[in-house]
Amino acid sequence: MPIQDYKTAAETIVQFLKLLTSHGRLRLRYRITAGAGAADPHGLEAREIYIELSGPDAPLLLERDGELLRAMEHIAAKLVHLESEEHDRVSFDAENFKALRAQELRLRAETAAATVLRTREPFPFAPASSRERRLLHLVFRGIAGVETASVGEGAGRMLVVYPAGYDRASYTPPAPPAFAERGRASGRREQSRAPRRR
Amino acid sequence: MTDQVNNALPDPTQTLIREIARALVDDPDAVEVQALVRDESTVLRLHVSDADIGKVIGKQGRTAHSLRTILSAVSMKYHHRYTLDIVESGEPPARPSLPQE
Repeated sequence: MPIQDYKTAAETIVQFLKLLTSHGRLRLRYRITAGAGAADPHGLEAREIYIELSGPDAPLLLERDGELLRAMEHIAAKLVHLESEEHDRVSFDAENFKALRAQELRLRAETAAATVLRTREPFPFAPASSRERRLLHLVFRGIAGVETASVGEGAGRMLVVYPAGYDRASYTPPAPPAFAERGRASGRREQSRAPRRR
Repeated sequence: MTDQVNNALPDPTQTLIREIARALVDDPDAVEVQALVRDESTVLRLHVSDADIGKVIGKQGRTAHSLRTILSAVSMKYHHRYTLDIVESGEPPARPSLPQE
């Protein structure tokens, strides 16, 4: 459901940001856009409220792949009572992080699609949040010859890319813990070994 | 090591966590944040009503994780380590103790 009252939602987010800049001592400036002006030019987020952050502590938001930015975004979405699948209606950004992220996702999607088309085997991405998976699903919509689905449960839920028409029931995705170990060992986010088939 | 409950003026981070939690829950009056001061760190113990515990933990713990991420960034600004404990129903509140001499 779209955000009903932009003014109230924006005021709630401003109160949250004020807490962070006063009691939290984060040196941040912010600009909030709501409504049509907040739309994502890349079409990846269904955003209705867009918060652009700047200031001396903006780089802090982007450390560890935007961990603090995402944390603030998550809390803000909760504060305006959005359900998990609607979280991208509120979007925080700093130093063009989202646009660069969109570019990166597109590149990762194209690389994964090329692998799937070449090998005719499914390609599992690392477990990711529903927001990240949704972004990837959207990126894959524009790529012919492959299909995507989210598989697994909870924190281990991941996006898998299949060749178009592939028998998905025949594929067993990697178990999340082993997946994480392999990812750490190889220093990569995605697993690129040939997936197991039943 | 002795925990000391901070009964003086609230720590700004205590206020920060309390106000965010109050905005997240249905029963803001039940929100309480206790600061346990240790040697080089402070544990913030967040109490909410039983019905609101899910609101501060979130699906797969994402809200709690986000609160801890924010607190970690704020710790850097204060040059002091703050950690967050979300107190489950039934856990007794920390008891004040006298500082060691």
